[in-house]
Amino acid sequence: MRRSVSIAGLAAILMLGMAGLGIGQKSSIAVAQDKASTVEVKIDNFSFGPASLTVAVGTTVTWTNRDDIPHTVVSTDDPKTFKSKVLDTDEKFSYTFSKAGTYPYFCSIHPKMTGKVIVQ
Amino acid sequence: MQGRRGSPLTLYRAARVSELSGVHWIRRSDENNTEAQLIHRKKNDEIIHDHNNDGIDRRGFLKCMAWVGTGTLCVIQGGVLKSYALSRLPGMTAKEAMGEVSFVQISDSHMGFNKPANPDVAATLKVAVDKINALPTAPEFMLHTGDISHLSKPEEFDTVDQILKAAKPKNVFFVPGEHDVLNDDGKQYLERYGKGTKGSGWYSFDKKGVHFIGLVNVMNLKAGGLGTLGHGQLEWLEDDVKHLKSSTPIVVFAHIPLWSVYPEWGWGTDDSAQALAYLKKFGSVTVLNGHIHQTLQKVEGKVTFHTAASTAFPQPQPGKADSPGPMKVPADQLRSVLGITDVNYVQGQQALAVVDSTLA
Repeated sequence: MRRSVSIAGLAAILMLGMAGLGIGQKSSIAVAQDKASTVEVKIDNFSFGPASLTVAVGTTVTWTNRDDIPHTVVSTDDPKTFKSKVLDTDEKFSYTFSKAGTYPYFCSIHPKMTGKVIVQ
Repeated sequence: MQGRRGSPLTLYRAARVSELSGVHWIRRSDENNTEAQLIHRKKNDEIIHDHNNDGIDRRGFLKCMAWVGTGTLCVIQGGVLKSYALSRLPGMTAKEAMGEVSFVQISDSHMGFNKPANPDVAATLKVAVDKINALPTAPEFMLHTGDISHLSKPEEFDTVDQILKAAKPKNVFFVPGEHDVLNDDGKQYLERYGKGTKGSGWYSFDKKGVHFIGLVNVMNLKAGGLGTLGHGQLEWLEDDVKHLKSSTPIVVFAHIPLWSVYPEWGWGTDDSAQALAYLKKFGSVTVLNGHIHQTLQKVEGKVTFHTAASTAFPQPQPGKADSPGPMKVPADQLRSVLGITDVNYVQGQQALAVVDSTLA
């Protein structure tokens, strides 16, 4: 008898606590997800393809390394607008361009590899 | 550069005739064109060569080459073939008395690389160590001209350190490759290998009268650019060699070639001319590089430039492929396109003897 009371009491406390924390409550935040477009750039044979890309503001560009050597995607401005970590084969890097402009970039490991993204 | 791709690279040697200054042979490349003579010598001493169409008398050249095994120096200077009797290097006792310096250069171990061009770069590095341990004279130390790791991962550096522990030469002097300074601007490289170095890891040391200079040309690379040494390092270099006698033999080692092998592929250093200007006064300068994963040599006056093979995977000859990526060869030929470089200096001789050998 005492045991079941204490368990019930414990459960009550837990439930109160959880209610206070809001756990278990269904919280739904309606998020208006824009279906933003994604454009692919392929990295292969020590080059970016396409090397020059024109996209609309808000576009996400995804670079995929298809080469058998690691590469990076680093913008040439200072401070850097974007800088990927080292991408081994099949690894990807994405950046969403929210401001119009021209963004030249290169591979910091193989600096002869250059490209640019024009955002309009 | 003409040469048969996939054919085994074998030994070719450079040694100096004492009565001449700055004369070497192996490969002379024309200033304006990258075609160069490539001399192959098969293990059974049969001599095969390709050479460019530059008016050299083939028969004369062949005859000269035939003497190579017995010690003849053949040089083509300005299209004119000259041959010289090769002085034999002093015998063993003389060598010891003079205090010979001998060391090995290895390069581009790319620990962590695992693609088809070589799925097991640890195995080929171990073969390189075995090769070093089998040399008739144990080298005193080793130079590693960079790209120790493939992705700058700690375990990759650890593995290389562990494999090199089995080599007889216990001292290894490193310079970083671009693969060693990823993600952290070279911080980890400096922690591991930067003791006693300046800036991003440059330094110098002396061994028995030879002055060794380790340079770093893989930091702060600019878009569209080549390797770069930078102002701070150049100033240090000028100061470092200022008080040395011009008779001091100099060995410079750095990852990316300090001469323009093939700028289109980034195979060169933007500001190396300045560095070489500081070394102009010296009677013998040997520049040892890596990065291009093949052996190439060029002589310019008193400076010999030499690039080492990789212990991991080969890369195509300049312009012979779309890009300078790992070159796949049949598995049974892989070891014949990887290698080590044995370098010997005998006091009294000005230039260093540089001998490449493959892992096959």
